[in-house]
Amino acid sequence: MQITQPLAETAERRRENLFVRIVRRLADSRELTLFVLVVALALAMSIVYPNNFPTASNMRAVLLNLAPVGMLVCGMMLLMIGGTFDLSVGSTLAFSGVWAGVVAGWWGWPAEIAVLVGIMVGALCGLVNGLIVTRIGINALIATLGTLTIYRSLTYVTAGTGVTPITDAFAEYGRAADPLFRIQSPFWAMLVLVLIGGWLVARTRFFRQFYFIGGNPRAAQLSGIRVDRLILIGFVIMGALAGLAGVLGAARLNSAVVNAGVGIELKVITATVLGGASLKGGEGTILGGILGVLFIALIENAMIINAIGVFWQGLVVGLVLLFAVSLDRFKTSGRA
Amino acid sequence: MAPRLEINGLSKFFPGVRALDDVSMSVEAGEIRALLGENGAGKSTLGKIVAGVYSRDQGTVLVDSAEIGTLDEKAAGDLGIGIVHQEGSLVPQLSVAENIFAGRQPTQWLGQVNVRAMREQAKALIAQLGVAIDPALKVSALSPAQAQIVEIAKALSRDLRILILDEPTAALTLTETEKLFDVVRRLAGNGVSVVYVSHRLAEIFSLCHSVTVLKDGRLAGTRRVAETSTDELIRLMVGRDVHFSRSAAGRRIGDIVLEAQDVEAPPLVRSASITVRAGEIVCLAGLIGSGRSEFCEAIFGARRRHGGSIRIGGTAIDPKGPWDGKHAGIGMVPEDRKAAGLFLGMDIVNNVAATVLSRVSSGANFSNRKAEALARNFVDELRIATPSVHQIVGNLSGGNQQKVLLAKWMAMEPRLLIVDEPTRGVDVGARSEIYRLLRALADKGVALLVVSSDLPEVLALADRIVVMAEGRTVGELRGDGASEEQVLRLATRYTASVAEVRKQPGMAEA
Ligand SMILES: Nc1ncnc2c1ncn2[C@@H]1O[C@H](COP(=O)(O)OP(=O)(O)OP(=O)(O)O)[C@@H](O)[C@H]1O
Ligand SMILES: [Mg+2]
Repeated sequence: MQITQPLAETAERRRENLFVRIVRRLADSRELTLFVLVVALALAMSIVYPNNFPTASNMRAVLLNLAPVGMLVCGMMLLMIGGTFDLSVGSTLAFSGVWAGVVAGWWGWPAEIAVLVGIMVGALCGLVNGLIVTRIGINALIATLGTLTIYRSLTYVTAGTGVTPITDAFAEYGRAADPLFRIQSPFWAMLVLVLIGGWLVARTRFFRQFYFIGGNPRAAQLSGIRVDRLILIGFVIMGALAGLAGVLGAARLNSAVVNAGVGIELKVITATVLGGASLKGGEGTILGGILGVLFIALIENAMIINAIGVFWQGLVVGLVLLFAVSLDRFKTSGRA
Repeated sequence: MAPRLEINGLSKFFPGVRALDDVSMSVEAGEIRALLGENGAGKSTLGKIVAGVYSRDQGTVLVDSAEIGTLDEKAAGDLGIGIVHQEGSLVPQLSVAENIFAGRQPTQWLGQVNVRAMREQAKALIAQLGVAIDPALKVSALSPAQAQIVEIAKALSRDLRILILDEPTAALTLTETEKLFDVVRRLAGNGVSVVYVSHRLAEIFSLCHSVTVLKDGRLAGTRRVAETSTDELIRLMVGRDVHFSRSAAGRRIGDIVLEAQDVEAPPLVRSASITVRAGEIVCLAGLIGSGRSEFCEAIFGARRRHGGSIRIGGTAIDPKGPWDGKHAGIGMVPEDRKAAGLFLGMDIVNNVAATVLSRVSSGANFSNRKAEALARNFVDELRIATPSVHQIVGNLSGGNQQKVLLAKWMAMEPRLLIVDEPTRGVDVGARSEIYRLLRALADKGVALLVVSSDLPEVLALADRIVVMAEGRTVGELRGDGASEEQVLRLATRYTASVAEVRKQPGMAEA
């Protein structure tokens, strides 16, 4: 073997035309690809719909709507980096929201306690998922598919048709808005989580271990990484995030809805994969995940403004997902 | 007569790497041709191109004078080109028989797979290698040696014109190797051309007719085996002389670091004891299946221990997992680098950092700068051939992967380093470097426990040799002055009872 200059132009590469090289450069960083796509989409929309898209109220709506998915993506990205995932997040979200509603609305306890209880219930759901996966050794797909229906059913059992209204003090947690942009708290909570989570996962050695686990669980175990314990922690974090999303959602509506979060897991996983996670694990960043969320949110918004029926949205999001993932084939760092 | 396989001006590029550069060679029908070269010389790449796994960038390949265009693995198989891959290509979740006949299972009149016939044929194929493996077993349940046998059986299951064997004996014992050679000779007798890649020169002299040496992706020369010597081949390969002599200088052997007594880890480890001192290299020898690796795993905490005691530096430890072993200062380089050792999809930096996350961090933060510096050190020190420390480890050649694996554990600076098969798939030059590195570690006072199936390696490295058989440590020899025969006798002598062996004159109790 001879080592030529790192990434020197080999004959093969010289033959490529400019277009392929641009695609390759973009494909090498999923974050960059998505960022370019998001900016391009936003620009196009601002030009085509100057009266509908770049307005304060539309922006506010878009950002507020993506908040729950954004929070969940942080946890899902962590799990998928570690080579696993959680399908029960939607049910966990509803279950936590309903418990917060019960504690505040029916029992009349202080709103702070209700918020805490909601998050704890979510974390507990995550703990159960994690224990089933790591201790009993049931595969995550089956395990969380099971708890998806179990938690949803427990939600119905707990609150029947839901808790409406809860209390004004509790509702304040989801409605408080900042004075400048007047965006309500779920968005700000999500932003803080993304910033902190993004830093933690990208930088800290604790979370770096998830990349090793996803890369090769057996080698990680033999390298002295506590694989099971970390995966368990990952599930608890995922559950707590779903709990928070559920509580804030219930607070914003001042109503704990038993059908909250139905089907959200698919949206979350779509955004996570779009953001660079691989089903095999070991890849992805929170930044990528949140850009994935943003991108999907913009597409949905475009379709609403265009008055294209909701029936078409799934089609477009699905196509975008397939497109983004197929970009992987152009990666230079991939194996030949 | 036209040659069976003819390669002209073959070149292959990978990003940043010229793996093959204008290589030409031709192999006659019935010829067994050795392919030699250092790690990363391009041997596997050449084999993979002929077998249709990689496409070629330049050059032509002719089989029986017919030029083959671009072909995939299946087309190559249909042309009668079989390959046993260095890194294994079996599907762990499927049975042995299904792996052997993947895609070509014998069928019955409705097209359903004839499981019975398939298993019987698989059994016969395996039996000609002198081994009995239940064809209904899942591949994931096999040991690395058994998996290797199945790989070979899979290649033999077709009508072959050309057979490429890429380091097929790396995981095999002597007897299995001999059986494989018989089969290869028989195939050659029937006119099959064999391309045989190995780092074990002795094998080449006993099996092959001729040898082609690659260096840095270029052809370094072709010789008839009868007209060449080990020294000449090494010079062609490495460009200098290499020696494996035992280091003469006496090392200062210090206090006991590891003291394991009557360790039980059923089913493979029944009662094993060993001590290793600081600065000492102890080799654990024995046949495959004697429980050596499992004993080491039990010491490290990677395997559940049922009885016995383990002390590190005089303190009893009870490792519940590898993290506990690591915490006690033990490192373990596992036998199976692909499945258990490396993060193949990650770069060298992250692989090396995996065992020392806290050392390559500042506070809670993982420091890419520190990790890169560490990786760069090892790339220089171990002479890992790579375009950069950010190369994906899965893209390195087998021997360079092995060096990364060693680096990963040397980085941890253990008190006791267990190395399971330190030079599997490593070229002669690198092998002597790895010996030098292990000795240097011992000089620094690290206790080394080395498992090896390669007897010359055991004799070259060991200060002391401990032999295991059937899950028990059955004897011990001093390293210098020991002969292969003595070790083998201990390893196979174990028959009726341990006591009988221990009564053998001249053998200390283990
Ligand atoms: N898929 C790939 N992508 C990038 N580089 C590769 C790839 N496969 C091989 N290489 C590079 O090509 C060179 C030749 O590799 P090859 O595996 O053929 O070596 P080898 O002679 O078989 O070595 P070994 O004795 O270690 O098995 C190496 O430098 C390796 O890093
Ligand atoms: Mg090779």
